[in-house]
Amino acid sequence: MELFVLNKNEIIKKLCDIIGKEFVSNKSEDLFIYSQDPGVSDPRPVDFVVMPKTVEEIQKIVKLANEEKIPIVPMGGGMTLSGLVIPVKGGIVLDMKRMDEIIEINESSRYALIEAGVTTGKLQAYLEEHHPNLEVSIPDAPPSVTVAGNALIHGSGFLSQKHGDHGSMINGLEVVLPNGEVCKLGSCALSKYWFTRGPIPDFIGLFISSFGTLGIATKLSIKLYPKPKMRYLVFGLCKDPKVLPNLIYNITRTDLAEDILIGIQDKPAWMKGYVVIMVYITGDSEEELDSKTKLLKKIYRKGKARYMKAPDRYYDIFLEKPQFAAKAADFRKGGGFEYVGAFIPLEKIPEIIQIGNDISLKHGIIPTMGARFISKTHSAMFFISYSFNRADPKDIENARHALHETNKEVLNIGGIPWKSELEGQKLILQKMDPNYKMLLKTIRSALDPNGIMNPGNWEVN
Amino acid sequence: MTLETEQDWKSIVHRCFRCGYCKFTHSYSDFNCPSYKKYRFETYSTGGRMWLIFGLINGDIQWSQNLSNVLYACTTCGNCVENCRFEKFNSFIVDFIEAARAEAVKAGFCPEKQKLLLERTMNSEMFNPYGEQNSDNADLKKEYDLPDNAEWVYFIGCTSNYRQKKLRDATLRLLKKAKIDFTLIDEHCCCSPIIRTGQITPVKDFIDYNITQIKKTGASKVITSCAGCYRTIKKDWLKFGAEYEFEVLHTLELVKQLLDDGKIKIKSEYNKTVTYHDPCHIGRHVGLYEEPREVYKQIPGINFVEMKRNRENAWCCGAGGGVKIGYPDWAVEISKERVEEAKETGATVLSSTCPFCRTNLSDANEKHELGLEVIDLIEILDQLEIEINDSNLI
Ligand SMILES: Cc1cc2nc3c(=O)[nH]c(=O)nc-3n(C[C@H](O)[C@H](O)[C@H](O)COP(=O)(O)OP(=O)(O)OC[C@H]3O[C@@H](n4cnc5c(N)ncnc54)[C@H](O)[C@@H]3O)c2cc1C
Repeated sequence: MELFVLNKNEIIKKLCDIIGKEFVSNKSEDLFIYSQDPGVSDPRPVDFVVMPKTVEEIQKIVKLANEEKIPIVPMGGGMTLSGLVIPVKGGIVLDMKRMDEIIEINESSRYALIEAGVTTGKLQAYLEEHHPNLEVSIPDAPPSVTVAGNALIHGSGFLSQKHGDHGSMINGLEVVLPNGEVCKLGSCALSKYWFTRGPIPDFIGLFISSFGTLGIATKLSIKLYPKPKMRYLVFGLCKDPKVLPNLIYNITRTDLAEDILIGIQDKPAWMKGYVVIMVYITGDSEEELDSKTKLLKKIYRKGKARYMKAPDRYYDIFLEKPQFAAKAADFRKGGGFEYVGAFIPLEKIPEIIQIGNDISLKHGIIPTMGARFISKTHSAMFFISYSFNRADPKDIENARHALHETNKEVLNIGGIPWKSELEGQKLILQKMDPNYKMLLKTIRSALDPNGIMNPGNWEVN
Repeated sequence: MTLETEQDWKSIVHRCFRCGYCKFTHSYSDFNCPSYKKYRFETYSTGGRMWLIFGLINGDIQWSQNLSNVLYACTTCGNCVENCRFEKFNSFIVDFIEAARAEAVKAGFCPEKQKLLLERTMNSEMFNPYGEQNSDNADLKKEYDLPDNAEWVYFIGCTSNYRQKKLRDATLRLLKKAKIDFTLIDEHCCCSPIIRTGQITPVKDFIDYNITQIKKTGASKVITSCAGCYRTIKKDWLKFGAEYEFEVLHTLELVKQLLDDGKIKIKSEYNKTVTYHDPCHIGRHVGLYEEPREVYKQIPGINFVEMKRNRENAWCCGAGGGVKIGYPDWAVEISKERVEEAKETGATVLSSTCPFCRTNLSDANEKHELGLEVIDLIEILDQLEIEINDSNLI
């Protein structure tokens, strides 16, 4: 593909004509910031950063990009850590965060219709203030990430155990297709209510985990859920990871849990050699929470685990929404971490714990792992996290190797790395059924014949 | 830990993960970083600035006027310090920005408008950033019949002395009324504006000069009605190696103490609805949140109401960090948001404890005809009848 028919000054001028010069940049300091993310990916050059405000502006940018063969990379919070919003082939980074209107909250059909740049923090705070009986499932990512960016990568959060990953919580989507046309998907294609994906052919899935290669989402409807009055946390502890599949299975049979997390870390010292289980329960009264706690204690006991009363501050830390998971970035006094988030089947939990442990120790990194269970036990998002010191290139390289090895092992045991960086995507594609790959390629070239949408990602040759 | 050497900050600035908590209020309801809220590029978030600074240290990016402008387009309001979750790092964020600005100055990239602050402050006719003829305060001393030696020094500050004289005069009257044994010095700028803008070469000399003047009076306490001077004398002077034994108080602290001890009593009523703007320099930078509120609440007849964003979450007035001189229109834009927020409370009076905030809030109030009365706490007190209990004054 021949890139950039026009010279960059002419492109800048055209972009400024579309959205005004305040929100278009090719200044070196802006390009520097947008050429990197907080993970281990090396910086990659960016040519332009733009921040559109309207769908029409995006349409015009996409049309310009088609004419001039300029790659476009849509960006939300830019927090996947896996370099997904750093262009592979240069071009425009389309920072979506000025499109941040909460358009409608439908109380009875329980959905929020929002623009794609709305952050999880903003939606959460808005609901707390204006619709205290409703809640949205948010990830434990910082509140600066976008609801769209998260849902569009099969993200998961505190309601995912009950209701599925965040991609499945999308009720409707408005996208600017790679040809610049606007397309509405879901019930909003024919109704003023953005309340369901069906019952018409469901194309929303095409846009999930395709990393912006098939279009730019501009609006989405995300499911909301009734907010229980009380929320509490019941800690458990077990020594042998082999008991986990059964234990988690039995907890999810009861419908007791809102959210289930496990944590495996060598630090702080008391955690070493144990798996900490965190089951979140909700209810309308203290009695209800007490009875659920009692039942859980019983399940723990039967499942060769035990209940753990934790110090008060642990409840404060782990009941916060979102949890401050980013603290892992400072484990090596260095401002960085990246993890392989692997979607794996429940039965593979003991094996992946061993893998994570071995790879971490081999690379001199303190083992830090955990999982969130999604939709009962239909899958687990298991993360193996590698902290690094951003000021030490060797440490970054070390973490990069650990991540790559982990991706390979995850695929070996039948799991799939989530929101994978370029190298991981290549490993996934190597293993993927050729017909799936062909379908992907066919859809992509039909929608995006000029190859302008985030080229380099999910590249099927 | 304090950032004592250049190496200190250079060796921890990379610990910023760029997670973005710094952009928000505590509840995430709104962006509370004025710079990010305006520019919206990640570059203009605190994380963006930290990464640029790290890039400069590493040599991954070079100084340029544009880059320097990014560092200067920050009011140093401290919302990032308040909301950054990394405890080993967060308290230094404003220091990093000021240190990086000092590097910009060294590298020859101080923006032109901010350079004026230094030029005027260094001018021996002026010694203040406003370019006014230096006042040695001798006339005021005479007018208020002040001694050469006293227990207290009232450090007026350049903004009160050259721009907000009503506040200066109200403070002088209040101190007299309360029978405080105080005097004035021939003060030179406390250096807040030049420290905030990284133009630090003469700072130590200015501090030494002011301390010598204060010592000459024999005072054991320094009082000021300026949030900027207060923060600077209390924190920055020490950072620059000053050694002094006097206590530093904001006038509101003195008033609170006098009220609490029953040494003064407010007798007349102030029948207005008042909201309080927390100046960054005594709020987030020093942590005085409840003290001013307790003073307002002791004023008879007052209906004291809070803005949505208050205390640690206060929206900056937009004047600090050299933004008022560097970006005058934007400074007023920031301030407009604050005055509008004040209006939403139903208040008719927007009050603060900083002459610099007062200036900028008034500018927005007037420019956009928002119709509030903008007034300092000390000026409110000056309008009221105050009973003095002579028996046990300080
Ligand atoms: C500390 C920490 C904790 C985390 N915890 C969780 C967690 O609990 N659960 C979880 O799911 N994730 C978690 N994450 C991962 C990640 O940060 C989140 O999933 C985040 O929500 C991604 O959203 P974003 O706005 O940053 O997306 P971005 O990184 O901006 O984008 C993600 C992908 O979507 C594409 N994209 C973004 N916006 C659009 C659009 N409008 N149209 C088309 N494509 C688009 C981008 O091109 C990119 O490929 C965590 C990350 C960190 C750093």
